[in-house]
Formats: sequence, C-alpha cells, structure tokens
Amino acid sequence: MKKEDPLLEVSKLTLDYHLGARQMRALDRISFQLEKGEIMGVAGESGCGKSTLGLAIIKLLPKIANIRRGEILFKGRDLLKISENEMNQKIRGQKISMIFQNPQNALNPVFTIEKQMTDILRVQEKYKNREPRSSRYFREQAIERLKSTGIADPQARLSNYPFEFSGGMKQRVMIGMALSSGTSLLLADEATTALDVTIEAQINRLIADLAAEYGTSVLYISHNLGVLAELADRIMIMYAGRIFEMGATADLFDSPYHPYSAALLESLPSQQTRGKRLLSIPGFVPPLDQLPKGCSFHPRCPFAEDICKKEVPPLEQVTSGHFSACFLDRKRGRQKWQWI
Amino acid sequence: MAMDLINIRNLKTYFYQNKGLLSRIFGEGLKTVHAVDDVSLTIKKGRTFGLVGESGCGKSTLGQTIFRLVKAKSGEILFCDQDVLKMDSKTLMEFRQKAQLIFQDQYGCMNPRMTVGQTIAEPLLMREKGRMDKQALFEEVGKLLQAVNLDPDAAIKFPNEFSGGQARRIGVARAIALNPVFIMADEPTSGLDISTAATILNLMQDLQDEMDITYLWVSHNLNQVKYMSDDMAVMYLGKIVEMGKTRDIFNEMAHPYTKALISAVPQVSANKRKETVFLKGEIPSPINPPSGCRFRTRCPQTMKKCKTYEPSLTDLGGGHLCACHLHQAN
Repeated sequence: MKKEDPLLEVSKLTLDYHLGARQMRALDRISFQLEKGEIMGVAGESGCGKSTLGLAIIKLLPKIANIRRGEILFKGRDLLKISENEMNQKIRGQKISMIFQNPQNALNPVFTIEKQMTDILRVQEKYKNREPRSSRYFREQAIERLKSTGIADPQARLSNYPFEFSGGMKQRVMIGMALSSGTSLLLADEATTALDVTIEAQINRLIADLAAEYGTSVLYISHNLGVLAELADRIMIMYAGRIFEMGATADLFDSPYHPYSAALLESLPSQQTRGKRLLSIPGFVPPLDQLPKGCSFHPRCPFAEDICKKEVPPLEQVTSGHFSACFLDRKRGRQKWQWI
Repeated sequence: MAMDLINIRNLKTYFYQNKGLLSRIFGEGLKTVHAVDDVSLTIKKGRTFGLVGESGCGKSTLGQTIFRLVKAKSGEILFCDQDVLKMDSKTLMEFRQKAQLIFQDQYGCMNPRMTVGQTIAEPLLMREKGRMDKQALFEEVGKLLQAVNLDPDAAIKFPNEFSGGQARRIGVARAIALNPVFIMADEPTSGLDISTAATILNLMQDLQDEMDITYLWVSHNLNQVKYMSDDMAVMYLGKIVEMGKTRDIFNEMAHPYTKALISAVPQVSANKRKETVFLKGEIPSPINPPSGCRFRTRCPQTMKKCKTYEPSLTDLGGGHLCACHLHQAN
C-alpha cells in the first residue's frame, strides 16, 4: 500500500523581517513534514523563530515579513499561492486553526461567549453558501463545542462574559472555537504557558485526545520541554531561525545528537539533584541581523571547531527519522556531550 | 542543628470586599477573602524553604504578610524571636534591612527614569541616611553588579536596556545590597528562557553559600522547588496541606493534592514520569471556601467525614506534616 501523503509539508521555507534598514532572517530553510494525527513539538529559546513558523503556516504574518522562498504544502496545495480570500473562506479557522498564548487578549471583553462563538460559526456557514440557519442551530453548535472541551454546564455558561471565566476556561473556549470537526491542523503557540500545572495537564490531555480521536495534527510550540516530552510524537529544536535537531521524542530527549539540544536538557532543574550546578549556556541568542558566520551557535558552543566558524552545517539525517545540523555529531555519534 | 530564623504561628490574613457604607446597606454585605488562614511554619537559618501551590492559593500573600506589606489579621511572625507584627517603625526599618524581596515583574519594580546604579545605590543611601562618600558608593555598586555577574558599566544604563535575565540579576543585586539574612523570592524565574533561568538559579545558590542567606522560595514550578529547597510546604486555598523536608515530600507524598500536583508536572525523562492524577475543575473561591476539608470538592479520594470535619496537620514521622483524614489515626 502506498504511504499516505503527509498532511503538511514545509520545504526550504525562508523568511525575512524588514525593520527599517535592518533585515533579519527569522526562518532559514525550514523543512519538515507532519503526518495526519501527529503531534510535533517545537522548542527553543525566545527569538528562535518558533512563533513565526506558526504564523507563517496560517498566513497571519505581520506586514514586515517577507517570504523569500520555499513552499508550505497543505494537503498537496501550496498555501503561499492561495489567495487571501480563499484562505479566509476555506482554510483559516476551519482546516487550520491556531490557539494563542494569551486567551485574555483573544476574547473580546464586551461580548458574551455565545456571541463570540456563534459569530465564528455564522461566518463559516456563510462561506459554505448553504441555506441560512436558525440562531438556535448556532447556539446548539456552540454548546456542543463547549461540551467537547469539558466545560461544565455549557448552556448557562454561554451567556457569561469572558471576565467570568478563569484562565483555564478561557483557554478551553479558545480551543472550542479553534476546533471543528473539519480541523485537520491545529497550531498551538504556548497554549498553556499562563496556566497552573493542574489546569495545564487538563488542557494538554484535551489536545492529545482530540489528536487521537479526530486525527487532528498538531504543531505544539512551547519552551517547556517537559510538556513536549509527554505530549509530542516528534520534537523539533530551533535556534536562530534554523532547525537544529528533529527526531522522535524519546529518542531525542534520551540522547540528543546536537550539543544545543543537550545543553537545553542539562539546564533543566528537574534533570539535576539538589546542590549540583545547572548548566547555563554562555552568551545569549544573537540578534537575527547579527548572526555569526558559519554555525549560528558556534560562539556559545565549547566544542566548536574551525569548520563551525566558516560553514553552515546542513540539517542531515543521522539515523532513520532523526535529523541534526552539526558538523561534530557525525564524528562522535551518540557519545554524550560533556557540557558540565 | 540549624537555628530557626522565622517562626510563623497561626497567621491569618483576610481581605474584605464591599467594605463601603453603600454596599453594606444595599449590597450583599461584607465578604471575607480567606487568603491566608491559620498558617504555622518554621524557616531554618541558611536553608531554602519552598512554598508551592496553584495561583490564588495565598502563597504570595503569605510572603507579603511576613514583610508587613499587607496587614495580618492575627497570629505571630517571629523573626529572630521578635514579632514582626508588633514592631514599631524604627525596628521595622531595621528588619527590612535584614529581609529583602525579589519580585516577579522585575521591570515593574525599577524606576524607568533612574539608572541601574541609582536604583541599587538607593538602599545603601537610605541606610547611611544620605551621608555616603560618592566614590565609596560608586565602588560598592560596582561590587554588587560584579557579584551578580554584570559589568560594572551597567550602572549608568537604564532598565529598558537590559534583557529579562539581566533585569532579574539587577533585582538580586539590589536585594543583597544591605547584606540581608533573609530573602523572599516570588517566582524569580518566571518568563525566562530555560538557560537564563538556570543562570539565576546558579547565582542564587552561590550567594546563599557565600553570604549564608535564607530563602523563602515562592513558586508554582515544582521541578524548581525540588531542585532549590531543603524544606517545603504545599498550600491550598490559604491553608498548608503538607509540609516537611523536600526530599520526604517528593518521595513519600501523602496528601492527595500534593500527589495530583506533583504528578501533573511534566517530566522530560520517561522514568521519572508518574501516572497523572487529573483534578476535576478549578480552585474554589477563597470567599466561601468549602466546609470541612477545603480540597474535598476536587479530591479523588473524598470521604463522608471530609465534608464536616476539617483535618488538622499531623506528623507522619520525622517532621513530615499532612492535613488529610486518610492519614489520621481516628
């Protein structure tokens, strides 16, 4: 049997931000595939391009962004060539949805939850050019969606305003809005960062259930490696606009190939016992318009050799399904990086 | 045996809503928020005490009550055998030199129009009542900045020129300016990148070793509290539900809430992972806390008597305290 085509195939996506005279390469030759029902975790420090990647896929980039080249194939069609009209009518919010970090800012404080949820349904229905539906139909749909995200007593809750909801419940409303039965790709950008651990666990289980039940694929952007380890099937580690390492979650976290991935894991307090020092990577993420020559990580990397300062290491497959962009990893194989 | 530095006994901090005359007459009457309700704990000298719980459980309020930033309703806070709540303004000033705070929003607690040097020099000038040689002050500020691994030239810059991690280190520099014996750190690494957070944690451990500082570490990051603290307490709706040595609590957690909280923390390594206990719903309002045990509305092991009787903190052995009917003899 022929293997199913991937749901999303991003290839060589390169994107610049123009800020006055400054030109910043926010994404540099990003290529990856996402299968149906798969959860891909995207990790990295702030400013590494994680959120830009999400916004590029759903085409909500700010005006200063300029896609240089590459394609984003979604179900075989290049999203970059689809008109804004078609994106609005058929894809954004229906086939591809996004949940943002801050649910407080994503809901309008002066309208009820019912108004905000049914508005979206009405717009989607309008684009489908069907017979007009009754308000009751939309209300029931909204109740159904709230119920599926685990909100108790959805009928009564619909007439509430956002301020009457807690942070976790607002995030549930956002997920309810983002997901309909037709959603095949969910982009979650730090969706649980502002929540308590117990609520975070509830929301993440909800996302995992949806992926398992409806076969929704998820691009889960987070800086919490623990969350990704438990939720994601595969992990992508980004640094300064490039993919540094990509592979199956357990594989990558157990023995990372790239020294940067190893360093991120070493700096987690959960990986160390009391009294031992944590690793802090020297230096900082370089500004995107002042990237060093060669591997962008080399000034912070104690293992760097001459070649790292001259050439950019390509992202290459090291073992089956596991990619890494480092000149040194192939030489040393799976040997542990001795950061401390 | 480490000495007790802070001894809190039966501390209560309540906030009141609808205090005004009109809302008393026409409204629903006075509402009491039980933010900290009958909390007793001991912080040992030179050690780190971790305080964890979900947002709204009263952990920050407890910390602020210790500094008298909010008014306590009743109870005692003994700092070196002196009751903080009964101090007059002069002794309170002396206490506040010995005890310092590091806040979560570091940009928010720096004046954007003052240079970092001025910000750090302020507590020094206060102590010397303005009589301090400029050169000596300059050197002192430089030393403090070096102690937190910043360039002494940073003194002439303004807060907006610093990154989140650097701003956090300036906060640490200001806190250690007066050689305090006690520092409360309220979510000291929230919003920082993994590697930057590690820098702050390392720095604060080094300072503890050098200056013998006692920390009260308020955080909802359990991994961090496990890594940083010697003793810890878990709070729920204004009450301590479990308290003891950090090692004991993580190895033999007794309270169902602690179990749920610890199991919900995502772990990177698969062998550290536990079966997640999912709690139903969210933390109830502290205005009308549930009767009996406050956790019973979300507890997976709730019993009949949880509704009527409030469990008290009982010793399970070795100073490991837990407030739950499951662990009480009768």
